[in-house]
Amino acid sequence: MKSKKLSEVIIKTFKSNGFVLSEPDVLLDSDYIIERSGEKFRSSMLSFDREDGKTMCLRPDLTVASCISFLQKKTSSKIYYSGQAYRRSGGKGSNFINDQLGIEILGSKNLIKDDFKVISTILNSVKKIKMKKIKIKVGDIGLFKSLINALEMPERWKLRLIRHFWRPGYFEELLKRLEKNTDIDAVTFDTDKKRFYEMKKFDQNKVIAGRSISEILKRFDKKIKDPRSFADGKKIVKIIRTFLKINCKLSKLDEELLNFAKKNNLKINIFKNFKSIQNLKKLNQDINFVTNFGRDVEYYTGIVFEVFSGTKQIASGGRYDDLLKSLGVTLPSVQQ
Amino acid sequence: MKDLITIGLPSKGRLKEKSISFFNDRGLKIIQSEKERNYFGTIENKPDVKIIFLHAKEIIQRLGDGTLDIGVSGLDLLKESDINLQSKINIQKKLDYGNANLVIAVPDDWIDVQTIADLEEISFDIRLKRNTRLRVATKYPNLTNDFLISKGVTQYKLIPSLGATETYPFIGSSEIITDITSTGKTLADNNLRVLKDGLILSSKACLFTAKKKATKLQPFLKSLGR
Repeated sequence: MKSKKLSEVIIKTFKSNGFVLSEPDVLLDSDYIIERSGEKFRSSMLSFDREDGKTMCLRPDLTVASCISFLQKKTSSKIYYSGQAYRRSGGKGSNFINDQLGIEILGSKNLIKDDFKVISTILNSVKKIKMKKIKIKVGDIGLFKSLINALEMPERWKLRLIRHFWRPGYFEELLKRLEKNTDIDAVTFDTDKKRFYEMKKFDQNKVIAGRSISEILKRFDKKIKDPRSFADGKKIVKIIRTFLKINCKLSKLDEELLNFAKKNNLKINIFKNFKSIQNLKKLNQDINFVTNFGRDVEYYTGIVFEVFSGTKQIASGGRYDDLLKSLGVTLPSVQQ
Repeated sequence: MKDLITIGLPSKGRLKEKSISFFNDRGLKIIQSEKERNYFGTIENKPDVKIIFLHAKEIIQRLGDGTLDIGVSGLDLLKESDINLQSKINIQKKLDYGNANLVIAVPDDWIDVQTIADLEEISFDIRLKRNTRLRVATKYPNLTNDFLISKGVTQYKLIPSLGATETYPFIGSSEIITDITSTGKTLADNNLRVLKDGLILSSKACLFTAKKKATKLQPFLKSLGR
């Protein structure tokens, strides 16, 4: 089948599953996106200055563009899109234009049902276009969070590891730092303690470069009390590394996680929130579960998946409950 | 003239003096125009060499577009420039002057912020509580970007600055800054402090050459010595 024909068949499947067409704007407010998705995004966006000084960009991605359109109340929550997204991808000879075809459930209210709906719709559509040797790979960022929260270490380390899970390179650096426990400079710590008592006498509402004195002192105080060194850094890193090696058939996942918990002397009930993943067994497909997965997209928060035909990746997506929050309101979402 | 060699030297301050001495010390006496504000110069007994005094930033640009064959400028300015431009320029020799560090500085009174790890933490905090990003004022957006991202600080926004960047945190234009400093005095005098691990780049003056001119420059560079 030709690719145009293929996408027609896929779109038909989307529609029959209740997804409605979203046609997000091509031109978006560049600052709005950077403010929310970070400076790193800037280099990939194709932007220009408007006469009134506002910087606009071509939509770099249809998920982001659809979220914005949804927030402007232009679309319903269960949408599909088919169109071009424009961005630099770094490599030489990249042509800036990416065809994107996909579905989203924006503001998803029923996690298990909606996760299933998105993945089953995708599966149906690839079957309709007669793809062979279909395999699915899934992961769940939520499981990693459950693990980290169950481990005994200072709060700031937990937050750090969770925040940077999606950046494997830096994450590895963090693990090495955690192993060796390098974090603080004892000398400046002492002089600053003196300053701490001086500053306590100041007007606590005074703002220094955007932060109030009370905010600074509160964090300083918390930092002193938060244990700087703890004995188990090495052990914890070992547990995390072992966890990230889990790769098994979905049908074996319960057993695998139970074994992992037992071997590492963790409570056996730490992984309780993965019903959404379990539910995928209903798909009757060859599904692999991988913990070290979904780490390239910052905004995923829960289930992540990739669909393969043989070795070729044909679809991917996941749940991103925080992206809409950063774009304006708190809403959960699932995407293909 | 095909064999004419054009050299760009910094037009101001210590960098200018030191660059002239660098050539003089190697037996290449630089002769400046008698007119005080003239931008051109020559080298004694080298009729095929032309000297132009330019802004250090300009020297990098002109090496890239082929106007200059050789130039003295700061490593910081090369590394900050566009990657396509950098690929056209060779670092021929690092010189022993013009030392300066590009660093991240925070207000003295942010006593809870000593390391990049702290910065990372409060940037996420600001993002979470106020849904805005930590603003970083800088004259070096590219180097700052690469550095912060590599250290896991992702929740920030760059504020381009042209000068007196040290004032930004105190006039509400940014929260923190990155800037070039040789003694640290300007930072300290403006109540700013360098983060313990906040060194972005250690810079110095360098002798740069345009890659395309490598063959033509061989004999002259030899006369400059190693």
